[in-house]
Amino acid sequence: MAGPIDWGDSRWYQRAVFYEVSVRGFADSNSDGTGDLRGLTDRLDYVEWLGVDCLWLLPFYQSPLRDGGYDISDFLAVLPAYGDVKDAAQLIEESHRRGIRVIADLVVNHTSDQHPWFQESRQSRDNPKADWYVWSEDDQQWSDARIIFVDTEPSNWTYEPLREQYYWHRFFHHQPDLNYDNPEVQQAMLDVVRFWLDLGLDGYRLDAVPYLFERDGTNGENLPETHEYLKRIRQTVDVEFPGRVLLAEANQWPADVVQYFGEGSECHMCFHFPLMPRMFMAIRRSQRYPITEILAQTPEIPDGCQWGIFLRNHDELTLEMVTDEERDYMYAEYATDPLMRRNMGISRRLFPLLENDRRIAELFHALLFSMPGSPVLYYGDEIGMGDNLYLGDRDGVRTPMQWTPDRNAGFSRADFAQLYLPPLMDPVYGYQAVNVEGETRNPSSFLHWLRRMIEVRREHPVLGIGTFDVLSAENPSVLAYLRRLVMQDGHESIVLCVNNVSRFAQPVELMLADLAGKAPVEMIGRVPFPPIGELPYFVTLPPYGFYWFTLHDEG
Amino acid sequence: MISPDDIVSLLPDFLPRQRWYGAADLELESVELAAFEVLRPEWPVLAWLLVDATFDDASTARFQLPVGLRPLEQTERFLEGKGRSFLGDIDTDNGPALVYDALVDPDLAHTLLHHIAPDEQVSRVRALNVEQSNTSVVYDERLIMKLFRRVAEGPNPDVEMTEALAEQGFEHISAPVAAWRREDSDLAVVREFLDGGTVGWQLALTSLRDVYDSREDPAEAGGNFGPEAGRLGGITAQMHLALANAFGTDEGDPESWAVTMRENLARSRARALDARAINTAYGELRKVKDAGRSMRIHGDFHLGQTMRTDNGWYILDFEGEPAIPLAERRAPSSPLRDVAGMLRSFHYAAEVALVERGPAAEEDELRTLGRRWEQHVAEAFCLEYFGTPGIDDLVPSVDEDRRRVLEAFVLSKAVYEVGYELAHRPDWAHIPLEAINRLTS
Repeated sequence: MAGPIDWGDSRWYQRAVFYEVSVRGFADSNSDGTGDLRGLTDRLDYVEWLGVDCLWLLPFYQSPLRDGGYDISDFLAVLPAYGDVKDAAQLIEESHRRGIRVIADLVVNHTSDQHPWFQESRQSRDNPKADWYVWSEDDQQWSDARIIFVDTEPSNWTYEPLREQYYWHRFFHHQPDLNYDNPEVQQAMLDVVRFWLDLGLDGYRLDAVPYLFERDGTNGENLPETHEYLKRIRQTVDVEFPGRVLLAEANQWPADVVQYFGEGSECHMCFHFPLMPRMFMAIRRSQRYPITEILAQTPEIPDGCQWGIFLRNHDELTLEMVTDEERDYMYAEYATDPLMRRNMGISRRLFPLLENDRRIAELFHALLFSMPGSPVLYYGDEIGMGDNLYLGDRDGVRTPMQWTPDRNAGFSRADFAQLYLPPLMDPVYGYQAVNVEGETRNPSSFLHWLRRMIEVRREHPVLGIGTFDVLSAENPSVLAYLRRLVMQDGHESIVLCVNNVSRFAQPVELMLADLAGKAPVEMIGRVPFPPIGELPYFVTLPPYGFYWFTLHDEG
Repeated sequence: MISPDDIVSLLPDFLPRQRWYGAADLELESVELAAFEVLRPEWPVLAWLLVDATFDDASTARFQLPVGLRPLEQTERFLEGKGRSFLGDIDTDNGPALVYDALVDPDLAHTLLHHIAPDEQVSRVRALNVEQSNTSVVYDERLIMKLFRRVAEGPNPDVEMTEALAEQGFEHISAPVAAWRREDSDLAVVREFLDGGTVGWQLALTSLRDVYDSREDPAEAGGNFGPEAGRLGGITAQMHLALANAFGTDEGDPESWAVTMRENLARSRARALDARAINTAYGELRKVKDAGRSMRIHGDFHLGQTMRTDNGWYILDFEGEPAIPLAERRAPSSPLRDVAGMLRSFHYAAEVALVERGPAAEEDELRTLGRRWEQHVAEAFCLEYFGTPGIDDLVPSVDEDRRRVLEAFVLSKAVYEVGYELAHRPDWAHIPLEAINRLTS
């Protein structure tokens, strides 16, 4: 249980467990076949029971839904199918009452082409919003900027007959980029930021932040002007809404992503994208190096900042983070491996990716909860939901939350045909086999296990903000590390994590002579282990096994 | 006062028990003191000896021995379970003392480091497993001291090579921090310790265990070792390019390589070898038109000399094959001799992982799988090695010549292995014998 929110704790996000929710897919309160804000509010008891600290809502704004709501046509309104602003305010209030914070997606780079700003801008070259988007006489400018959706978009420019000009878009052609060189646009977006924070929202996950500005002779990513504007957003938040958080989605190489922390003056958090594919590869190769390599290449982050780490989310597993060396590495490892090729870069949920192996799922969560960063869970993964590859695009991982074995998985009382997407019905992952009700009743379910892990993590702030050091181990299948944190009372909290990424039992000798005299206590069962001495500390692990130990002074 | 002769008198019993003795098939005739020095006069005493051993075949070897002495009445915990490190006891002016290999004593390992690298401050000492020709001690998981047991005149190749590679900016080695020399012999070297690494041999076995258990094709199995082997091939090529820069190259002389190979074959007294077939195979070298360059190489290159770290592969131990005289170890050869060493190592890994599983009903199926693993890994290694820009200048330019030179070195390595296995691990002799069979039939 999260307990009441400590509003004075401005660095709560460094220790929080996030839970990513699609409003559309969580719960339908009005039986129209689509999830809504009230439905989510109705299910907050479950979220509270699970023990997460913060909800992250996928976009719930007014939208033509041509890109899952990331094409926003009114920043200040809720998509009617999800409810209205009052419902949003109530969700936030009810969440806060349960000790749960709420952040939401915000797309600052572009709008839907249905947004009134664009509708006005496209009309003529001299209307009041004429310069709110990026217009050009031809489609040749900034050819160094890569096309992100290469499969569907031939160019970053699309012709607008009304103005007889081209407009700039880094994503789909129906998502024109806002012109951040226009001070009015900068101001308007700050007002959007203020609007929801005023309503009580605890922060934003900022979508696609690297592309705000365009400059000649550049690829239009990570420009200094973009960082300047992010600093402006941060200042606004710090001054007017202290304690709220900005979480950046910058799908870049960690060394480049750290720019988005500024010197602690931009985003509080950034996602660490390459970690998850590396975890998957470590399991497949039975060796830790894919993980430790990427962590070794991850720079230190400024004080007060935190990585967001995840196993899966609403998008496909992306492999686009880049440096030549990394691309070579990823190419060498993935391109030759049929299973990796099949699973990477396409939409799968966690359990199907792991071939429904609960041992690996537990190991993955143990890693997620003990590696440096704040874990972000994706709704449904806590009960081991599957995916539906036949739904196309990324809908396959956005099917309705499975609450009960009853009609429509307990998600909605609408007619089946009315559902926004069909719930899973296959014999392995279908709602009759996998659902919250069943797993709540079964004390040995994955759901109960995960809840217990969230609880244990909360008891040990060192797992959120402690230092992280990988221990050397001759056995390549063992990944062991120390988390250390000097607490306010001067006492040092030390956690030792030992993980076996292989499907065979493994021994390991850990060089812990620096900690000689400490007594390890296993953290879940509180079982005391033999004290650490001068000799290497010997541990054996079952297949995919892991141990978390707190190290105590003997005596 | 300590009498060095008292210590020397313990050596005929002590030396043959050591893994680094390196003459298991020879009788020790005599041991004579060549040099003696007390590095620390107070308890625990650190004394240093240089001794010349003569064997029953009249060959000789020079060993260095740092020994520790502690008063006999003190039973020291660090000697528990280390009977092999115990020389015996002698009388000193301060009473009877226990004499032991100083490297098992953390206090004396400190003293020794301070003697070699006075600037380094360390607090913790950990002795590593003893190797065939040297003993290593790790300090604070940050520095490693490697003490050469057999001392030869002239620079030790390990010190010489790593210093040269470091100068060339080749980063995939553990760079020397300090060296201990006496006259023109290298005694020990202190280096950065590669923390967090796994020896390539272990990594290969990890892959093989997965392949043998899953029965998946080695290129498609979870434990696919191809990409790792490929990266190792690339690093190997870079090592050769750096060595070529550092020491220069000459035109490769396949005739002289063949002569050495034949000599080694003649020296190997293994009856199991079909000398005629092997010599015929060596004859292939005569057909080589362009043999590539002759240059300084690693000389004892195999998976056990590589380490996977978070920064990729590192290459270790440039001492060369310990059983070969120093001058020969430093002699230039084809870079393909190193490639051959690695290919042999892939074969060994596949076989050892098979032996690990014990007798199995499907042994033939597994053996086929192991053979495929070996081929796949060797291909990946060679693809990256020969694809590295610049390597064309060092290796034969024509594929046919490459194959001839490479196969001759693979065969010659296997011949060496047969001799080694028959002397040390007769149960394993079938591994190189199988390889020889493959190449000569």
